[in-house]
Amino acid sequence: MKLKYIKAYMILLIGLMAAGCEFDNFEEPKSTLSGRIVYNGEALGLRSNGVELELWQPGFDLYQKIPVYVAQDGTFSAVIFDGDYKMNLIRGNGPWMDRTDSIDVQVRGSQIIDVEVQPYYVVNNASVSPSGNSLSVTFTVDGVNTNRDLEFAGVYMGRTSITDIVRNEGSFNVPADQIEIGIPITVEVPIPGGLAGRGDIFVRVGAKTSGVAELVYTQVENIPL
Amino acid sequence: MKLFKRYMLGLALLTVISTSCDTDFLELEPPNILLDDQVWNDPKLVTGVLSNYYDRLPTHTTLTGGWADFAAYDEAMWSGYSGNDGLNNIFSYSFNRWQLWDYGLIRDINLAIDKLNTISELPEAQKAQFESELRFIRAYVYFEHVKRMGGVPLITEELIYDFNGDPTYLQNPRNTEAEVYDFVISEMQDILPTIGNTGSNTRANRFTALAVISRAALYAGSLAKYNGAMGSPITLPNNEVGIDPSRADSYYSTSLQASQTIINEGGYNLYNSNPDLGENFYEAIITKNGNPEVIWAQDYLLSADKRHGFTYDNVARSAREDNLGSSAITPGLNLVEDFQYLDGSSGELKTHEADGSDYIYYDEVNEIFEGKDARLYGTVIYPGSTFRGQEIFMQAGVMVWNGSSYDRIESDGIATEYEDGGVLVAAGGPHRSIQEVSNTGFYLRKYVDNAVGASTRGIRSEVWWVRFRLGEIYLNAAEAAYELGQPEAVDYINVLRERAGFGANSLSSLTMEDIMQERRVELAFEDHVVWDYKRWRVAHEKWSGNPDNPESMIYSLYPYRVVRPGDPRDGKYIFVKSVAPRFRAPRFFQMGNYYSQISQGVIDANPKIVRNPFH
Repeated sequence: MKLKYIKAYMILLIGLMAAGCEFDNFEEPKSTLSGRIVYNGEALGLRSNGVELELWQPGFDLYQKIPVYVAQDGTFSAVIFDGDYKMNLIRGNGPWMDRTDSIDVQVRGSQIIDVEVQPYYVVNNASVSPSGNSLSVTFTVDGVNTNRDLEFAGVYMGRTSITDIVRNEGSFNVPADQIEIGIPITVEVPIPGGLAGRGDIFVRVGAKTSGVAELVYTQVENIPL
Repeated sequence: MKLFKRYMLGLALLTVISTSCDTDFLELEPPNILLDDQVWNDPKLVTGVLSNYYDRLPTHTTLTGGWADFAAYDEAMWSGYSGNDGLNNIFSYSFNRWQLWDYGLIRDINLAIDKLNTISELPEAQKAQFESELRFIRAYVYFEHVKRMGGVPLITEELIYDFNGDPTYLQNPRNTEAEVYDFVISEMQDILPTIGNTGSNTRANRFTALAVISRAALYAGSLAKYNGAMGSPITLPNNEVGIDPSRADSYYSTSLQASQTIINEGGYNLYNSNPDLGENFYEAIITKNGNPEVIWAQDYLLSADKRHGFTYDNVARSAREDNLGSSAITPGLNLVEDFQYLDGSSGELKTHEADGSDYIYYDEVNEIFEGKDARLYGTVIYPGSTFRGQEIFMQAGVMVWNGSSYDRIESDGIATEYEDGGVLVAAGGPHRSIQEVSNTGFYLRKYVDNAVGASTRGIRSEVWWVRFRLGEIYLNAAEAAYELGQPEAVDYINVLRERAGFGANSLSSLTMEDIMQERRVELAFEDHVVWDYKRWRVAHEKWSGNPDNPESMIYSLYPYRVVRPGDPRDGKYIFVKSVAPRFRAPRFFQMGNYYSQISQGVIDANPKIVRNPFH
């Protein structure tokens, strides 16, 4: 009888220990920091997962950056702890002028910020209209900081809304010498065979600055064929 | 009883006396630890220390460390254990992929040099020889650093902390990229007269040091030239990365001079013992006995139980001797097509008639590869070639004629039979989805051991890893001479092409594309492709992450048997090219990959370290 009690207690104890041993007892971060990369109040079109922002939180022993990836529509968001952070734009990472001083970000609850950048070029007034087996694409490349040359502009076509110079099913290059900065240009872009039979395609125009890996894009447009 | 007690007492007393008399009790030499003055005064023990350092040399892909990454570029893909399929699915190369910061090893070498100079009482000549060898290893380690990270701090002596609370005097900034290359070259030049080890191909000797100069100076020269030629060169304000383009020519001539010395004075020869040119090229790398081509290798030895499992993991499926493993790294069609035909035409395999109307029908499955550069056979096992005297037959399925077109029939197993009694899928595959069967239609031959039992886990392989061989030196000489505008550049390449079965003087002039192509086929799977693409600054174009870019993708070639009874084409073989089915994501190399990331821990500990571009 006595033994039975002991056994029962043992089982209870083991149960308690198993339940009580919550090693993973950190509270998860709950605050969100979100925002957009903007120029003149307009979100910039970028390559999906191409541009990374860095968040740093000074004052702790383990001083590691928190990478924040920017989506292709220029927005980003991160779930972090409340606190005072510094946000960095990585040198040479995005299609804009280097910005060497960091941005102070205070996060209390949820926080929305716009990060103003100075791009080298932007693509404006893009319009796409299908005509037969080709697209007629009109756009204007405007120079903001023209100390670096324009390398080319590209029209990117894809099956999904994630379309850019890396992921596309067809692309068309317009070399820089055919583009006059600030003057609208219209190009006829043949639709590649793999996309021709579809009901709609996604189209984007990007401009490449020489020496900068990332392009600046228009927002993705869904064009019914 | 009393007597016994007395004896006991006596015995105890004796013990106490005999032990306490040992006045040196606290100064006994440990029986299990070698002390500094023992090690550094015994040439055999010093050699032991050296062998430890040789073994710890940083590597990216070799037979024992990182070999799976042979399948991470555009030479091959992963067809082995499906848990490693991530290699076919690299979304983009991470910025710390080639990261190296091995100051532990550098410190050990600095300490060793220090002790050799302070403790050792060996004869001066011997000391000088050991010191040269240590300096060789240290310079080589710095070369491995600079080609991944750009400039790194050059530390050549022991750093000692004095516990005063301020470590800043130990924090060294990064040297410039050019300074590190200069250090590597000048160290190698300094030790040439004293390093000794003549004739050894596992320990460094004069020609090993020259071989490192040949490679390092070539890298520095092309970095200077091609980085400068980019639309916007990759640099840092204090030149921690980036070399002034005006220095290119002097690096190229340093490299050319070193290569010429090796070729003219080294006594090395291209391996040419086997009249079968394909087998000959294979043996040029794996033969250890009297191989005149190998300059420096990492050796393995069965009797010392120093062996590796590379052959177990990569042997062709139908030749395997163990019940698991095999076929991990399978070369892609892109690489196979880079091997030209011996008449000098492009290496593209002919699967269809020129007008695209029909397949080309082959009597034998290996007929399509006839007349190719012999290095193809030496590097890759293609359908119908042999390994260990056994034919590696490959067939992906059958093509059954239905009156107007072919129905493609495959099987969900290998070594299966079609209803007409013939082979459906061969024992060697290829197969679309089964693991440990080729997914591309090719198997790896280079470095896979043809010795019996080498592909079992019990025996394993003792094939060595070739770090430098004369073939590369010829290519280095050709490239440096080409960049310097010297007409004899083409001769160095023709020597290698002649060994591969081309006629004498098969190339009459040289372009940069020729050099890239020759390096790709001659040095495949010898840990060159990444570094070559990086220094030519073409990696981001070759591996652009775009599925439409054939160079970013791995293609396969599947042979099928034609079932068309009553027709002369019945029983012949046709070939289908496609993207390898297990291959998912195109290779994507970003600008930030040209120099690897320096880890945040290093920067935290030493704020003088600046980060690499784009990180």
